[in-house]
Amino acid sequence: MRLIKTFLAACFAVTMVPMALHAASGAPQPPAQNWPHQGLFGTFDKASAKRGAQVAVEICMGCHSIGLVKFDQLRKLGFSEAEVKSLAEVQGRTKIDRMNGAMDATAAKDAFGIVPPDLSLITKARKGYEDYTYAILNGYLTDAETALVQKVMADKNISEQEALELQSALLINTDNKEHLKDKLERLTGGASYNKYFPGNFSAMPQPLSNGQINYADGTENSLKQLSHDVVTFLAWAAEPTMEERKSCLAKIFAGVRGGSSPPAEVWRQQPTKVFLLTLILV
Amino acid sequence: MAIEAEENRRDFLILATSAFGVAGVAAAAWPFIRSWSPSADVLAQATTEVDISTVQEGQMITVPWQGKPVFILHRTAEMIASAQKGDKETLPDPAQDADRVKKPEYLVLLAVCTHLGCVPQPVGTGNYGGFLCPCHGSHYDTSGRIRQGPAPKNLEVPHYEFKDATNLVIGKAMA
Amino acid sequence: MSKIMEWIDARLPVTELIKSQATEYPTPKNLNYWWNFGSLALMVLIIMIATGLFLAMHYKPDALLAFNSVEHIMRDVNYGWLLRYMHANGATFFFVAVYIHILRGMYYGSYRAPREILWWIGIVIFFMLMGTAFMGYVLPWGQMSYWGAAVITNLMSAIPVVGEDLVVWIWGGFAVADPTLNRFFVLHFLLPLLVVGVVVVHLWALHAVHSNNPVGIDLHEGKDTLPFHPYFTIKDLYGMGVFLIVYCYFVFFAPNAFIEADNYIPADPMQTPAHIVPEWYFLPFYAILRAIDFLGAYSKLAGVVAMVLSIAILFILPFLDRSPVRSFRYRPLSKQLFWIFVVNAFVLGWVGYNPPDASLFHGAVPLILIGRVSTAIYFSYFVLLWLITALDIEKPRPVPKSL
Repeated sequence: MRLIKTFLAACFAVTMVPMALHAASGAPQPPAQNWPHQGLFGTFDKASAKRGAQVAVEICMGCHSIGLVKFDQLRKLGFSEAEVKSLAEVQGRTKIDRMNGAMDATAAKDAFGIVPPDLSLITKARKGYEDYTYAILNGYLTDAETALVQKVMADKNISEQEALELQSALLINTDNKEHLKDKLERLTGGASYNKYFPGNFSAMPQPLSNGQINYADGTENSLKQLSHDVVTFLAWAAEPTMEERKSCLAKIFAGVRGGSSPPAEVWRQQPTKVFLLTLILV
Repeated sequence: MAIEAEENRRDFLILATSAFGVAGVAAAAWPFIRSWSPSADVLAQATTEVDISTVQEGQMITVPWQGKPVFILHRTAEMIASAQKGDKETLPDPAQDADRVKKPEYLVLLAVCTHLGCVPQPVGTGNYGGFLCPCHGSHYDTSGRIRQGPAPKNLEVPHYEFKDATNLVIGKAMA
Repeated sequence: MSKIMEWIDARLPVTELIKSQATEYPTPKNLNYWWNFGSLALMVLIIMIATGLFLAMHYKPDALLAFNSVEHIMRDVNYGWLLRYMHANGATFFFVAVYIHILRGMYYGSYRAPREILWWIGIVIFFMLMGTAFMGYVLPWGQMSYWGAAVITNLMSAIPVVGEDLVVWIWGGFAVADPTLNRFFVLHFLLPLLVVGVVVVHLWALHAVHSNNPVGIDLHEGKDTLPFHPYFTIKDLYGMGVFLIVYCYFVFFAPNAFIEADNYIPADPMQTPAHIVPEWYFLPFYAILRAIDFLGAYSKLAGVVAMVLSIAILFILPFLDRSPVRSFRYRPLSKQLFWIFVVNAFVLGWVGYNPPDASLFHGAVPLILIGRVSTAIYFSYFVLLWLITALDIEKPRPVPKSL
């Protein structure tokens, strides 16, 4: 038993304990959001993902591609064939096409200096995962913060008080005024500042804002809601087989027990019991 | 006598056969080993030859070399002076301008930012008249040395030779 | 049925072999659970070969296609996600099993006479596994795959005279590229099959000298042993069940816990990730590699030599340990050294995980310093073990004559 305990403790330690030391220049930790699809038996919020698909197609895909997904696969989220067709038409594609944007790589490179990354795996491909993508979408300066920057830059001189205000508003972790000033100069020069992007300056201008598009189901179209929905959609796009994966063991378990009870429910309500039963079965 | 001679003869035969066998195996292995060396099509990309006669003073061109972008800058007198002035400053990655060029007029750089590998912008950008990396704001001077920003090292100078007055060969030719 | 077996046994003595080497094979009756990890490693090897074989049927070893073919497996192939996550996490659990297996051997003196050859074959398997794992990690062709391969293969350039040419030869070009990926795929496929062969020799060597045991004494067959079946088949099965539960937890519920986020970005030779880390099982060795940075131009070579030595030194462990007693259970000093060694291995891993320029307590303790001290502690285990046993400094406690 001691061995098993050690083993389990080690496994949890590996997943739970953050081992990383953050370098001084590192970007701030993205705040944790509540994602229903996370957790042991979490499933995608399909309604949110559907709204997110609309945001992705109408806004993100102006520059980005989501090339590992085909429009037709959106039907798995509950879109009808007609809805899929009209979504594809937004980008001048048909339903059997991959979700590539209207902009090609060369045009994008000319416009932004770099090719915007494909978003198919974005929630798996950045540390911080869903929270990071959400933080980026919400990491641009608000009007109040922009005003603060302009106020500071007006007299070209940063007082102690202003430095502190800037540090907390822009989430910059530096006491070096030259460093601050350098950032402010680039900011007022028109570069896109993002609080959570490593190095703070991203080639992407603020993509989403309050009320940018209207949802068919009448859901509130605030920046927070838009970004939450689009991240939910991107999480689905990153691993459409996630629900199958999470329910797989439960199915096996239900099979062993006769398969009558709704497995996911049992698992969710009595995980300890299930775990012990599995141990006994072994 | 006869048996001894026989044994010597047998020893020799065993030795000769073994030696021949080892040499044979080694010779047979050679083609297999060589098959791992860069193939003909890869070798063809080892060097890039550039005609620099058309690059005016103050201009730069970007050429691909082994799949990476290389800047060739024809420096003006001011650029050279500014680079040499930098020799005296305290640099994050100290290097003399003279060691970074073969002819002072031509600066050849691997255009890959040493921070995160973005491609810096053409000459005349950034605070030191050199190259600004757009991704995270690293400023390089007219010698390609890092002066400001997060990059840890100077822009790398690839191996290159002046073939003649107007032709420059980047990279080492491989046999 | 028995007629058929008789017919076969007269031509190929299968029953006799199974009896003598499996069912009735005399096994020390005092084996504890740490002896489960050999069979667990074998189980993972079988899982890896099975999943790997089927993954290879969908994977494309081409720089342009590799990344997307892995995503094709994840998205389109039926149960492809399961095969891939079993394989990716299988590597982790392989090393968990193998590390515990090795440490068990070190603690109970399983490397001591007459088991030296058995121990050496084990180290050969370990080296082969490391090579296989390294090349397997390159195959998804993500950013970490690519730059991990670039960093590790570049180490070879530290070898004097031929280093640079050797790296180009391994790459088949001037950078890690399509030819590299293609040959790594073939070797990643081939090596595990060779590992199976060496495992057979490992088992042969084991059955020639028989298992060591926690007390570390030579046993009287019959009095101190039990037949393998059913006593140890059931114990191994139980261990496998527990091990599989933990494995399944990761495969089904946290499959990306050991996969760096950067590896979901396709390989880009033009762009280096901010922080290149190897897989966790290589981290201690990576820390040793980076610890030696104070020798100027020789640092790189010294680092590589230290890294290779850190494993190769296990070969001479049987000769370093001069104690009259095998098991550390009766060796108070060796036991302490051992636990320091284990804890230190974790410290090394943690150092290897973090950026080389990181520090603790706001710059007061640079990580590189911890790395150097830990590297010194790692090697001093072997020196000290030799000293305390060769000079009779350690006074072992009395060992039972029989079980």
